[in-house]
Amino acid sequence: MQTINAIKFEVIRNALIQATEEMAITLRRSAYSTNVKTRQDFSCAFFDSELRCISQAFTQPVHLGSFIKHIPEIVNQYGVENILEGDMILSNDPYGGGVHLNDISLISPVYFKEYLVGYVACLAHHVDVGGGAPASVGAFKEIFQEGVIIPRVKLVKKGKIDKDIFDLILEQIRSKHETSGDIRAQIGSNLTGEKRILEILHKYGLDEFNLYIEEIIKYTERRTKNELSKLPIGKYFAEGFVDNDGFTDKKVILKVEIIIDKNKITFNTSGSDLQRQAPVNSTFAQTFSACAYALRCLMDKDLPVNHGFYKYVNVIAPEGTVTNCVHPAPVVGGWETHVRLNDLIFLALSKSMPDLICAGTKSMQCHSGFGGINEYTGDYYCFLETLAGGYGARSTSDGPDAVQAHGQNTENAPIEETESNYPVQITKYELIPNSEGPGKFRGGLGLRRDYMFTDETTFTILADRDKDGPHGLFGGKKGSVSVYALKRKNKQEITLSSKKTIQLYSGDVISYRTSGGGGFGSPFKRDPIKVLSDYLQQKISYERARNIYGVHIDKSQKLVDYKKTYKLRNLRLN
Amino acid sequence: MKSSKKINNYRIGVDIGGTFTDATLINSNTGEIFTSKVLTTPLDPSIGFISAVEKILKFKKIQPESMEYVVHATTVATNAIIEGKTAKTAFITTEGFRDMLEIARQIRPSLYDLQFKKPKPLIPRQLCFEVIERMNSKGEIIKPIDKKSIDKIIELLIKNKVDAVAICLLHSYRNPEHEIQLKKAIQIRLPKLMISTSSEVVPEFREYLRASTTVINSSISPIINKYITSISKKLFKYKINAELLVMQSNGGVYTADAAITSPVHMVESGPAAGVVASSVLGKSLGYKNIISFDMGGTTAKAALIRDGKPTVTKDYSVGNFAQTGAGAFGGSSGYPIRTPVIDLVEIGAGGGSIAWVDSGGALRVGPQSSGADPGPACYGLGGTQPTITDANLILGKLDPNYFANEEIILDIDLAEKSIFDNCAKQLGLSVLEVANAIIEIANNAMVNALRLVSVQKGHDPREFIMVGFGGAGPAHVANLAEEVGIQKVLIPKGPGTASALGLLVTDIRMDVSKTLIVRTDTMDLSEVKEGFDSLEVEGRGLHSYNVNVDQKPNILFEKFLEMRYWGQSFELNIQAPDKKIDQNWLTELLESFHLAHESSYGFRVDNDPVEIVNLRLTAVRKISIPKNQELKSNYKNKSIAIKGQRSVYFSEEHKKINTPVYDRSKFSSGLLFSGPAIVEEPDSTSIIPPNWQVEVDLYGNLILQKK
Repeated sequence: MQTINAIKFEVIRNALIQATEEMAITLRRSAYSTNVKTRQDFSCAFFDSELRCISQAFTQPVHLGSFIKHIPEIVNQYGVENILEGDMILSNDPYGGGVHLNDISLISPVYFKEYLVGYVACLAHHVDVGGGAPASVGAFKEIFQEGVIIPRVKLVKKGKIDKDIFDLILEQIRSKHETSGDIRAQIGSNLTGEKRILEILHKYGLDEFNLYIEEIIKYTERRTKNELSKLPIGKYFAEGFVDNDGFTDKKVILKVEIIIDKNKITFNTSGSDLQRQAPVNSTFAQTFSACAYALRCLMDKDLPVNHGFYKYVNVIAPEGTVTNCVHPAPVVGGWETHVRLNDLIFLALSKSMPDLICAGTKSMQCHSGFGGINEYTGDYYCFLETLAGGYGARSTSDGPDAVQAHGQNTENAPIEETESNYPVQITKYELIPNSEGPGKFRGGLGLRRDYMFTDETTFTILADRDKDGPHGLFGGKKGSVSVYALKRKNKQEITLSSKKTIQLYSGDVISYRTSGGGGFGSPFKRDPIKVLSDYLQQKISYERARNIYGVHIDKSQKLVDYKKTYKLRNLRLN
Repeated sequence: MKSSKKINNYRIGVDIGGTFTDATLINSNTGEIFTSKVLTTPLDPSIGFISAVEKILKFKKIQPESMEYVVHATTVATNAIIEGKTAKTAFITTEGFRDMLEIARQIRPSLYDLQFKKPKPLIPRQLCFEVIERMNSKGEIIKPIDKKSIDKIIELLIKNKVDAVAICLLHSYRNPEHEIQLKKAIQIRLPKLMISTSSEVVPEFREYLRASTTVINSSISPIINKYITSISKKLFKYKINAELLVMQSNGGVYTADAAITSPVHMVESGPAAGVVASSVLGKSLGYKNIISFDMGGTTAKAALIRDGKPTVTKDYSVGNFAQTGAGAFGGSSGYPIRTPVIDLVEIGAGGGSIAWVDSGGALRVGPQSSGADPGPACYGLGGTQPTITDANLILGKLDPNYFANEEIILDIDLAEKSIFDNCAKQLGLSVLEVANAIIEIANNAMVNALRLVSVQKGHDPREFIMVGFGGAGPAHVANLAEEVGIQKVLIPKGPGTASALGLLVTDIRMDVSKTLIVRTDTMDLSEVKEGFDSLEVEGRGLHSYNVNVDQKPNILFEKFLEMRYWGQSFELNIQAPDKKIDQNWLTELLESFHLAHESSYGFRVDNDPVEIVNLRLTAVRKISIPKNQELKSNYKNKSIAIKGQRSVYFSEEHKKINTPVYDRSKFSSGLLFSGPAIVEEPDSTSIIPPNWQVEVDLYGNLILQKK
């Protein structure tokens, strides 16, 4: 029996992480669509031969949590024995353990001297997968309308792309140039991962490799258990909703109960609404991902995320609800439900662990997608991005302004890059003053982005938060609600629903104004100097400082008038 | 003029580090080298600068007038940014986009941390202003620049008493017209203000990265201006009239005037000097493929030199440490710049890095450092946490009475106690075992850094020689080389001051670039030709200073094209074929691109259109490199150089073994000996493991070879 050498352990553990990171670098740098190459809407991981996740690149947490459910499903359903050296399997099937159709996964087995040692896999959010509207984020009633469904197909056989399959898939997709480029980048990414994993095997041999993989999982398990034992035992509950489902204004009710026992935590979404014929349904993998992310946030910052952690994430999500939908429900907005669940989990835990969590965030993916035929080239173009909002305040600090929240950490699309490639002009990109949820610590500001089109295009909003702002905590107030507005050329501005596809013409402007984050603690307890600073930075108005925070600012001196502030605050408190 | 040339035969390089300011003097005729070390003076670093210069000139009795030129490397720029001590700067951009810096890239620096902080913008929101104007992506004016809005901004600049202004308007990389107009209008009213425009600093697309680079340039320009002026004055007072040159992040030096207008090019001035030292030293000895390894008190830096040239990157953030294992895109903290920086990986592993046991029972090293105060436990200055220096001491690798120019006497009992209390007890291991594990784990982190610059970029380490320097480098370099698969190691003379030497042997380089964004299947080749022609004129112009170095500067041009498949966002830097620009040139260029893409990403797509994004040109004024000075020594016998024996732990032996200790000052060229061995000199200790042998070359360098 070999023993574990502490040094080798660190070396192999890091080498496995770096293999996946190098996959991520390859994918990003060789990809074609803005969503992948600039916004980093992708993830990479390595699984062992028992399909346990061993290492991950640090990209998008949403994918990583769902990935570990999807990849084993793909391999098992296709059959381990049918996946040979040099093959790659492509899939985006939500009902085969996956998520929404836009997220396409590619898996390659790694063979070392005829032995199957594991799988490298990457997932990328593709800018278009066909379906009823360009950018494939439109609201429909069935999965079939959302785009091409790729069950599990062998795209690469013995190192060669199967042209028939590649062509069949591409034919369903609008943005052929970008999508084919992105899929090639995914292939390059897996090749890189395979190469690096094999280098490790050449150095240590199969026996040591397996020994240390086992130890990597055990090590994470030990630390996970240790962290779990620090969480307060009890049952915690919260209820909330997604503002509408895209077809009706009926709220989509979400419920979550968290049961913390000794060395065990269970998330239960029973009581959540039944699935809808609308795009808000989350698959089990998406719901699992929300719970895994939330649990990970409660633990030591440098805990490695692998099977040794995931096996402790217990999720009960009844089939047929919006948290575990069944065929043929549409799923494109499942991430909206998923991220709202995150906010609910932290709300449920806020009383028992106030210093670990944050107040309500924008908690929506907030997609903006459009596409049409390029007037000059005749090619079909598609564009997709997601917009940030205010972050929730914490017990000792303000929520940062305009950042992505929770499982989502995608970059913005540079304006100059967007305008160079699409018939659009971004006319505004700025913070929204007074959008913060007031508090002793305030939420972050939301942001505004205006798109003016210079050509006809089909635009889709897939977002939320247009009815209810992010929650505050312990006397902190709600953040602002989001607004999606349309101003047709020479017409008055009107407000649109948060899930809508619409035809636009030259000169029309779509404006996104995302939510600010919720506040933490009473705004009357906010340090007046901080209120002054926000005022001087023009993040809040003079009136807001006075009326909401009870701080009187001497405008000419640019100072806090403490006497008047004291009076204001006392008056209100009594 | 002949006589003056004869007098001006000394060059001096000054490298200001966190603790020490090093000066290196070289006689450019004979190649003789002298060094001096003084404490850094953080409040006004120019004081330390001049005293290091004075010390060396007085000691060698050299006339200040006989100086050819002075080269300087400094961390003043980086420190100002990291410590938030930049000048009061305003930011001006296109109407609708004042929050470009606040929003940045809309991402969080860490994924699972609900308490994260977003880096604070270098310019507060109230000093970000909007001018009414607009260009489209073709550089056509959609909305002319509005005079009234300019006047309004000027009033605000006056009212807010700013020291500097950064201007970044949308699509100015295509058409700088509005930026130029705006700058002129401000200059007329406020002639003393330092103004940087994005089209001058880095005329490339993607507004946030361009704005961030421009803001950094502008916000440090008043500080650098003051700093450089103060040094110039002090040099003048000291009768050194020679030209002052400054090290750039890209490994070349530039004039003091250029440093004042483009200070963003000097943010990584210090680390770059070390890489240049490795490359020049290696080249002079006939090595073209080098891995440079520089380890000091708090960090270790690794860089790759291929075909005699350091690799240069444009994906860099100031104030963002690369932690191996922290994610490929750990670059979201810090402030991005798009100017070329020598591609080096810096990790928190130095003599002061702290060892600890985590909650899963794993022994970890760094990234926390004990710094200089309280320092490692063995310094006896109150530090209780075990560090790499403590471990090296316990293993017998350091002499407690001969450390850091004998500035400190090390206490081995305190080192042992700290390891026992903090690690050995918890792990159930002996102090010696833990000390060895600390070194191996630290080495492992450094190996990862070395891999990041070599294997992960597709280079096979076996084709490289490793140069190890910095105070702590020579103690680790042989083991690291072995781990990465390098067979040969070079340890220069005076490893602790090698960086300062790098300053004296580097060419004067000016980088210029131009954005094209054209597809090679539809472009007109004359566009490329004209682009390079205008860059040549621009690059040459930057050299037109009155310099004594060379009466008729001979300027060489290095030309590169940044290319990608049409649709991609990241370019590969492809060297332009050295021939007339015609169809053949293009065919050769495209083949180089396809090849580079295949080697980087594993595939090529020959029938996809290729796009040329940027033209880059470096105008190089060559500096004569002094010949290496041969080692003069009367000590022919190996035994004369042995100053004693001590018991040293080598991990490959799993125990302490009796090891000879050599005095490097008594080496003669051609001397050969085998490990295990220790080589001591005042500023560093080299460790030669058992399976390595050493040869002292003609110039006194140690050449280590794996047996």
